[in-house]
Amino acid sequence: MKMNNIQKLAMPAAIAAAFAIGGSSAFSAETLTLGMSVPLSGPAASWGKGMDWAGQRAVKKINAEGGVKAGGKTYMLKLIVLDNKYNAAEGTKVAHTLINREGVKFMAGVLGTAPTKALQSISERKGVLLMTTAWGRSVKGPKFPLTFTQGNTPAEVLPQLYGYIKKTHPGVKTVALFNPNDASGRDIEKDARAIWENLGVKVIISDFFERRTTEFQSVATKIARAKPDIVDMSSGPPATAGLVFKELAVQGWKGVKTVAAGTAAASFLKTGGKAVDGTYLGVASNFGSATASAIQRSLSADAAKQLGEPLNSIFVSAWDAIMAIKAGIEAANSTDPRKVAKVLPTIVFESSYGPTAFGGAHEYGSPQQILIPSIISQIKGSSVVELARSEPQELKKKIEMAK
Amino acid sequence: MELVAQLFINTLQIGVVYVLFSLGFTIIFGVMKIVNFAHGEFFALAALLMAFLVNMAAGELGLPLWVGYAGGFFGAVVAVFLLGLVVYRPAFQRYLRDLVGSFIVSVGLLLLLQGILLEVFGGVPQVVPRWGDDTISILGGRITEIRLAVSLIALAIMVFSYLLIQRTRLGMALRAMAEDHEAAMLQGIRYRRIALYGFLIGSVLAATAGALIAPLTAITPSVGGDYLVKAFIIVIVGGLGSITGAISAGFLIALIESLGGFFLDPSLTTVALFMLVIIFLVLRPQGIMGHVEK
Repeated sequence: MKMNNIQKLAMPAAIAAAFAIGGSSAFSAETLTLGMSVPLSGPAASWGKGMDWAGQRAVKKINAEGGVKAGGKTYMLKLIVLDNKYNAAEGTKVAHTLINREGVKFMAGVLGTAPTKALQSISERKGVLLMTTAWGRSVKGPKFPLTFTQGNTPAEVLPQLYGYIKKTHPGVKTVALFNPNDASGRDIEKDARAIWENLGVKVIISDFFERRTTEFQSVATKIARAKPDIVDMSSGPPATAGLVFKELAVQGWKGVKTVAAGTAAASFLKTGGKAVDGTYLGVASNFGSATASAIQRSLSADAAKQLGEPLNSIFVSAWDAIMAIKAGIEAANSTDPRKVAKVLPTIVFESSYGPTAFGGAHEYGSPQQILIPSIISQIKGSSVVELARSEPQELKKKIEMAK
Repeated sequence: MELVAQLFINTLQIGVVYVLFSLGFTIIFGVMKIVNFAHGEFFALAALLMAFLVNMAAGELGLPLWVGYAGGFFGAVVAVFLLGLVVYRPAFQRYLRDLVGSFIVSVGLLLLLQGILLEVFGGVPQVVPRWGDDTISILGGRITEIRLAVSLIALAIMVFSYLLIQRTRLGMALRAMAEDHEAAMLQGIRYRRIALYGFLIGSVLAATAGALIAPLTAITPSVGGDYLVKAFIIVIVGGLGSITGAISAGFLIALIESLGGFFLDPSLTTVALFMLVIIFLVLRPQGIMGHVEK
């Protein structure tokens, strides 16, 4: 095969260009891929979309500031987010895809106890560091040294929330619990029942629903006729909780409403309308208010524009998880997840809330719980109003020690 | 009395949507002898379009809400009808009376439509702007005006569909095809044309159910999945391909859900429904009104 003159000139130029590109990449930063397994469809999709958004923002910020430095190398972050549909089956598929196919060594967020358990069965075995929002107590403990929780969970939320409700409404004597029929719901129901009963509030109904359920008339009839003083949706997603409270309002029930996993007003109001007014939320905060940090206010304003709803504690947990991973890698001076996991409970790092650390050994047997403020809020009109906030004592001690 | 009225109202409002959805599903099976696994996506598309169109009409176009509701309903049903026309010829027409081939085609269509709906509408629940949220009391049972209106419209469509199948020449042809397609063809009934009509009627019924449920709940691209599972239960209990079976089983399932949700745990009700299916498959595989396929 003969080459013409243009081809003869083009060939060495192409080879030189290829070497030039290859040579430059040899000196550029390496890429460290992070994974995220969250619901991007179904009733909990707003949480997953928000985590995706906040996670991508954190990655962009870290990369813009020069990436993550460890072992004499600089790593640029890349975040892959897949839909776990909030169930174990999809969670398992996502786990295999991220860990086995994409080679992810750091999970920057998993939403849901069932998908977390699905992922954990692989991540702990394969040495992958796992950050999760899971509320199930069963995902934490010394048996899972690579697992960390990136947001508050029932042990941090329920005692304060339920205590506040009991103090504000001293006359309440009965509660109806209504939880999703999965690992999250079953785990939380046990904690919720124990705390309510400790407060002298009797659990008169405790039912479970499938997450895909869209019709709640019958259970609303049952709850309304039992006339509980409180209806606690514990871990119900906002859209579902809104539907349930709306049906309860139709049936004429009027009482104290609470959603421990309630994160924001937007999704509640969409499905529940006026029926959700006054609902107590366990993990919501007005991140646009003066009590929020500058980063949180900025993220909240952008989220409102780009996602149609302001920042909430689930969204921002993705940001905090990625900041924790970055701090852990740099403190360990290694990208080995096992070394990072050992270092993480010993450091104080900068989260969206300010200086933060991991702790909770007294509660879970090992320090795997992020230490952030516990915030009690309420839906008033169309917005979330912060009622009370408490900083973890353990965090104060850790910050003092770090100084 | 109040409780009985409330449970009856609950059964009615759950049942009418189940019946509309299942009627379409069973008509398609009866005439074409295929199981359309994408039926739930037709339902979801109509519900999502209803939410989109009503929001657009009431928001950007500033039209009265009732115009948005009427336009949204019409637009959603027409869109699904057109989708049915588009997918019928290249996909289902080639696999009439072929359970394996149609299974692969309909599952493929299900995955394709799910992906498209997720991409176009996103996974976050969509809600139709509120209308008729005031509660009214019937014999002590409580229901919102919009739910009552939806239930009555669905009942009217159900009766119309029943009469269409039982009293018209088209209905007779559909039933003849479902009973014995070779004998029907010997009588001069054009099988392919009637199969197309059956498929379109089934699709429109799914769309109607989807558009009607949209103002009552939170709509996501996966909303059809739950209804498809219920439709399977209903057609097995009612009898595959049986119209009266689908209607009676639809209300029976709604009654079990209504009573189960009240007297038991809603999650146990789901178990009870699957137990019912097992009992029917063992003791009466032809269902309430159907006949055993050989």
